[in-house]
Amino acid sequence: MARDFRQPDHLPKVRGDEGADPGELPRQRRGKTPQMYGRYPDYDCLEQAEHWDELTCKLVVDRVERVPELRFFGDDEAATLTIFCDVVLAQNAEPRIPVLAFVDQKLAEGRLDGYQYADMPDDCETWRLVARGLDESARTHGAESYAAALIDRQQEIMDAFAEGELSGGVWEQLDCKHAWSVVMRSVLAAFYSHPWAWNEIGFGGPAYPRGYARLGIGLSEAWEGAEAVDVNPGVDVKERGLE
Amino acid sequence: MRFGGSHGFKGSVFPHDNDSALLLDVHRRGVPGREQMRRFPDEEEVDLLVVGCGAGGAVLAQRLARAGWRIVVLDRGPFWDPDEDWVSDEEGSHHLYWTDKRIVGGDDPVELGKNNSGHGVGGSMIHYAGYTPRFHPSDFETRTRDSVGADWPISYWELKSHYERVERELPVAGQHWPWGDPHSYPHGPHPISGAAERAWAGARAHGVEMRVGPVAIANGVFGNRPHCVYRGFCLQGCKVNAKASPLVTHVPDAIEHGVEIRADSMAVQIELDQASGRVAGVTYIEVETGRERFQRAAAVAVCGYSIESPRLLLHSTSKRYPHGLANTHDQVGRYVMVQGAPQVAGRFPELLRMYKAPPPEVSSEQFYETDEARGFARGFSIQTISPLPIGWAEHVLADGHRGTALREYMRDYNHWTVLGSLCELLPLPDNRVTLADEHDQFGMPVARFDYTQCENDRANIAFAKKTMHAIWETAGAQDVLTIDRYAHLVGGCRMGADAETSVIDSDHRVWEIPNLFACDGSVMPTQGSANPALTIMALASRLAERLTAKRVQTSRSLGSRTNRMTQDAAGI
Repeated sequence: MARDFRQPDHLPKVRGDEGADPGELPRQRRGKTPQMYGRYPDYDCLEQAEHWDELTCKLVVDRVERVPELRFFGDDEAATLTIFCDVVLAQNAEPRIPVLAFVDQKLAEGRLDGYQYADMPDDCETWRLVARGLDESARTHGAESYAAALIDRQQEIMDAFAEGELSGGVWEQLDCKHAWSVVMRSVLAAFYSHPWAWNEIGFGGPAYPRGYARLGIGLSEAWEGAEAVDVNPGVDVKERGLE
Repeated sequence: MRFGGSHGFKGSVFPHDNDSALLLDVHRRGVPGREQMRRFPDEEEVDLLVVGCGAGGAVLAQRLARAGWRIVVLDRGPFWDPDEDWVSDEEGSHHLYWTDKRIVGGDDPVELGKNNSGHGVGGSMIHYAGYTPRFHPSDFETRTRDSVGADWPISYWELKSHYERVERELPVAGQHWPWGDPHSYPHGPHPISGAAERAWAGARAHGVEMRVGPVAIANGVFGNRPHCVYRGFCLQGCKVNAKASPLVTHVPDAIEHGVEIRADSMAVQIELDQASGRVAGVTYIEVETGRERFQRAAAVAVCGYSIESPRLLLHSTSKRYPHGLANTHDQVGRYVMVQGAPQVAGRFPELLRMYKAPPPEVSSEQFYETDEARGFARGFSIQTISPLPIGWAEHVLADGHRGTALREYMRDYNHWTVLGSLCELLPLPDNRVTLADEHDQFGMPVARFDYTQCENDRANIAFAKKTMHAIWETAGAQDVLTIDRYAHLVGGCRMGADAETSVIDSDHRVWEIPNLFACDGSVMPTQGSANPALTIMALASRLAERLTAKRVQTSRSLGSRTNRMTQDAAGI
């Protein structure tokens, strides 16, 4: 089914559920997006890299080409947290943005955010405790570990974490809501600093030194991605008898 | 180097007494002349040692250097070079924030770091949005007018000429401003983005007046500072030099007039001379080598903002002041304020692409003053905010979406526009900075900041959110998303009329100590609903004027300076 994105009927609050099935979105035709769907199928921000200043260009391109090795998390922690990051970001298929690798890098380098809740350990310790806590919660549901649990169970535990409802065991050492905010801060920063995510949402990316000239409602620079509207290529091809 | 005349180029009003914009290089962003910067040996007693090179410290140093003072400025962070150190990227800008450990507590803990805490030469103005409204006259007397907060020992009218002067130096661009003390700006309003256009139309339909600006972004070439390119990364440090920060507006002129800026230097203790009761200088640590040094000074100005200034004073203990300098009455670190800064986003059919153009665009102060019908004292302002993807993700998450729903709202990014409020939260004694048990890498106790809202605060924030929701409803938004957050920091070393209820007097002098000053956001007794940067600079400008006109004496230092000058004049 094709969608008109001028209308809000794909949005979670408007529909009262999680939002429209992203599987109905157009497949990405240029560059990559996480899971290869998106709203801007012919837009690849990395094609603009030659217009970015050198420092920014290196930083952004490295996120794609030089994924850091895990240094901070152990294997068990990594197994649990990789799945958690994918669940919380609905990354259910390749290609996936390797979120945990970027979180790991930040923690290994001690690049913390400059504040720690009085009722919490520091961010490094919080991440380790969350990994243990997720596994413990999975075990109370009969799974061997968070990673080994069924996807529905993983989602339930993630939801309970977000709502501050996990307790017992390791969770007693953490304020659940604060732990959620510590963890999500890094997860979102890692995911939405990745150019594949920018392709998915149609973000222009770095714009220095070029800048922007067409600022008004509905206006785009020539190189900015056009939003897919109305046309589902699968249906379209069939309807036009091009198959 | 001298530049004649009071006008720069193309008719823009140029400041008479600050050549910073002309001292910058057209082809590079970094501050020229750092290699030739004057250096003072530690043993030399400089006239003034400033701790912190942000909105307060940089302006104070620039002004006094022009009056012939010998000045050293310490800053814990680096001396930034925008070409070399900054990127057009949200996550890649982490190093712009103060990220040394701090503890946050209380019932409503405040996120620090990127939210409100700067690091390095230029301070928090490196990563502020650029909004530079003045305070209203009422902000200086909320106790008298509204029976809340505190009265300042000075009035708006004592700051007015300094507001005007700083607005010329930044320079500030915007439409004529009808609220508070109505005034105009030296530069005209910037063009606005589709997102701001949509928000403005919505507000207008709802009967809310908004205006473009005021933002400290040159509209047109300003000296050697280029025009804004509308790339939208104001909060990540301006790589263009179009957005004002002390790094480009005051530091170049300060260096030209002999100020030494000693970056990567962490002040850990203000030393007291027990015999005279005066401060003798500051012990600091070179960040790179870990070496401890001591700079002698005839006077010291603490300009480290609301967390670090109280922390330094509290840590500067001595036999005479066992609880820290200026803390005899347990006032240091109290009355720290943040503004309630809820944001409500509205969804529209058109592509608005809010990442384009600077995030600060149009704003309203229609709800700034107390309106008894609302059921709480004081008020709030409304401004457009344009989060980049990570900021937008935090907004979506805060509205309760994760997994598939989070991704869906994120994909919808380009259809959204965001209004934010700045709610005046009241100064409360228990919202304070104290020293925690933990120590940082310099061996100094880390700061702990406790924060809890009062009923008036909650009512104000709730009303602001209701108003923004109503604007979007009138505007026909197809969906809305809300986030609760805080913005800015002020207070902690507030100025007042007596030592029992404040830390400094109206001349920024710490009670009891004749040659110790505080000059930054921490000195504010109230905060209004305005972004604090311009007011911090105006306060520094006023203090500098009073010091140079000798209406404030630093006693011995000024005496010795006068003697020296007399000797010079006599050819001795």
